[in-house]
Amino acid sequence: MMTDSQLLTIECAGVTFPNPVGTASGTCGYGLDLKDLIDLNKLGAVFTKGLSAKPMRGNAPWRIVETHGGMINAIGLQNIGAKTFVAEKLPELRQYATRIIPNVFGYSIDEYSEAIRILEDGEGIHAYELNISCPNVKEGGKSFANDACQAAEVTAAVRKASSRPVIVKLSPNVTDIAEIARAVEDAGADALSLINTAIGMSIDIHTRKPRIGNVTGGLSGPAIKPIAVRCVFQAYRAVKIPLIGIGGIATTEDALEFIIAGARLIQVGTANFYDPSATMKIIDGLAEYCREKNLNNISKLVGTVEA
Amino acid sequence: MSTECPRDLIATVERNDLFASTPQSQNKSRHYGFLQLRIPQAQTILPGQFAMLKKHGIYEPLLRRAMAYYRVTRHDGSTSVEFIYQILGRGTESLSTMRVGDPVDYLGALGNTYDVQATKDKNALLVVGGVGSAAVFMLAEELLKQGTPTRLFIGGASRGDLLGYDDFVELLGKENCISATVDGSEGERGFVTTPLERHLQANANKPTVIYSCGPDAMLHATAKVADKYQIPAQLSLEAPMACGIGICVGCAVAVKHDCAEGFVYKKVCTDGPIFWHEELHW
Repeated sequence: MMTDSQLLTIECAGVTFPNPVGTASGTCGYGLDLKDLIDLNKLGAVFTKGLSAKPMRGNAPWRIVETHGGMINAIGLQNIGAKTFVAEKLPELRQYATRIIPNVFGYSIDEYSEAIRILEDGEGIHAYELNISCPNVKEGGKSFANDACQAAEVTAAVRKASSRPVIVKLSPNVTDIAEIARAVEDAGADALSLINTAIGMSIDIHTRKPRIGNVTGGLSGPAIKPIAVRCVFQAYRAVKIPLIGIGGIATTEDALEFIIAGARLIQVGTANFYDPSATMKIIDGLAEYCREKNLNNISKLVGTVEA
Repeated sequence: MSTECPRDLIATVERNDLFASTPQSQNKSRHYGFLQLRIPQAQTILPGQFAMLKKHGIYEPLLRRAMAYYRVTRHDGSTSVEFIYQILGRGTESLSTMRVGDPVDYLGALGNTYDVQATKDKNALLVVGGVGSAAVFMLAEELLKQGTPTRLFIGGASRGDLLGYDDFVELLGKENCISATVDGSEGERGFVTTPLERHLQANANKPTVIYSCGPDAMLHATAKVADKYQIPAQLSLEAPMACGIGICVGCAVAVKHDCAEGFVYKKVCTDGPIFWHEELHW
């Protein structure tokens, strides 16, 4: 009988992952926050909380609200900064067998490059994931993710500053995700993560005020899964670089849906909040599915949707 | 006291009694639940800590709800834990439908604990309101154990909102339980901070520590009293939280900090829920 490792080991963006299951940025802290609750040695990858060149304070409360099948958050990218991550979190995190992928953001191309320069000094990092959903303050505040040219520009700049693979995380809040995916691929991205949260809003009918301080926020959880599956499917047809699926994944069945749509890896996000061991169950479940379907490796399933 | 690692376990409902309070001043009843769970593990749970709870196998609502432990009984290889909750929204409504024997997603014990040492050779005043009274019962037990004179000030809309009142009377003695209700159905009419202030005026020379848990307005009023009489106060805070373990960063609270803005955001779940009132940037 084939081992779980044989069935699930998969290559993506030049990195070999022990299995296709990671924790999504913003839902696992810096990885270590989950060490008491899950086996970090079993986890495929940790995509860390978004890191900027300098620490960020985050938004004023209220920052989260639960909605049907999900939640809206506007945390404001509170983080300890790339320097503190390298000095205080990375040494312990790299003791684990999991792949370490810092998520990186900035409000200008220079800020992205600066964060990457700091992280380049860190040992044990396998790749970077760029959150390009931030506003570009030098270009009137439009999100990098919403404009093919800007998305390409930030990708190219980071690609130049980085010695490691660069994964670009796309936003669903665009008219044509295939266009953005192609632009980012042409600019040198090694892989794409999709999707980031969908912009949402919730109002208290008694006070008539928005339920979160920032007025709007990012909707995540099972509610956005069909949007995410559609984005992965469309991007798979548009680009040749590998895809990482995210959006409401909580079970093995959810993960399989993304893999069949075209994802080589998947990330578990909001489910970490209400079911911290979801990643562990999904890893076991994917191996079981491979055995049941007589697949010698999970990669055989990628993009096999009959549509 | 050191904290144990939190555990994600399936607990079992042992008791889930629902009751209501109808204040004379309002025509709307408030609904509460008294929940007792059995955890299949012997756990050390400290005063002021909390658990994240959800009906097992139900994903609407999606997130677990944070609840402070009321009382804890350790058995051989298991622990019996009690909670008092107010039925306010989808999450607590879902909890209220649980029956004896039902499985529950249980994540605990979470958060920090009160600084009990701070009351060494001092008096302790517990100031509580609503379901906040649950969060200080184990603290009261701990204070009694170390011989600290302890007095409770408990407030609510009406008699039925003084949650756990009888248990506190049994523990501390009636003379040490001072109550205030908005409708005057128990104790004096009004807010609990009035008898609290009166007590502080009459006992101005006694070194005192305040411990408080309750609605936001009550915590603010208690912090003001603490400032006025220059008494240290530990406040147990509440905030919307998705995870309870520090990873969602949703439960931010502004804490004073030596920087240009004068504060940073800390997490109620893992940095708290208990903070000294002087730390808070209110």
